[in-house]
Amino acid sequence: MNKNAATNDAAPRRVVPASDILEREEGFHILLDVPGVARDGISIEVEENELTVRGSYARDETGGARLVHREFGGVEYARSFTLTDMVDRENIAATLNHGVLDLFLPRAAAAKPRRIEVSG
Amino acid sequence: MVIDFSSFHDFPREVEKLLDDVARFHDAGYRHSAYPEINIAEDDQNYYVEIRIPGVDPKELDLTLTDKSLVIRGERPAAEGRYLRNERGSGSFQRILSLNVPVDRDKVRASGADGIMQVVLPKADSVRPRKITITAQDSKAIEV
Repeated sequence: MNKNAATNDAAPRRVVPASDILEREEGFHILLDVPGVARDGISIEVEENELTVRGSYARDETGGARLVHREFGGVEYARSFTLTDMVDRENIAATLNHGVLDLFLPRAAAAKPRRIEVSG
Repeated sequence: MVIDFSSFHDFPREVEKLLDDVARFHDAGYRHSAYPEINIAEDDQNYYVEIRIPGVDPKELDLTLTDKSLVIRGERPAAEGRYLRNERGSGSFQRILSLNVPVDRDKVRASGADGIMQVVLPKADSVRPRKITITAQDSKAIEV
């Protein structure tokens, strides 16, 4: 391995995390695989109609143990989603569970089915 | 004007999307050789196996140690609801690691957080490198 490749290996790789988008009655859920990212290592931003998730997982490879087989390393996750008007942007909630980020996007009030009473 | 520029309207974003795709496929080439992905490290006392397994409760992961192998078994649960996009995949998985050194079975420890599990396999006493101290005896030069 040349020196260049070695330094590339140590740098965190930029990864677009795999995601699921689910529709449920109360709204939408976006699930993202971000293994290794702790709660304070994640940032979620909403700018106009774009939601961006970023997170990073840095590996401490300075320990005494000698790495003999490696399939993953430090990672920088980033992914954006475009929100529709059906989403209530003020009430987006996020939970992180075993390396999976669950974004809950509630339906906007206007997008909820509304019953119209007949008067008179 | 014959040429339609409309598809370039969102050009910067399209470029970013393309780069994202490249990053994703790059990643795809890196993994999928076997699932889940693991790292193995060792020092004089232990083997350290790291397992990247997002979405699985460490308590639900089934680790079995046999004479010659460590078997990692589990299931990634599917989410409820109507899928509009499904990239994460779900279902059961199994991976077997061959151990070519005896391991002290009773002292194996496993822990995990944020989708990454750590398994510490202490090497059996018989294979640990042992320093042999040489006690010097009064040596005599051999006379020829």
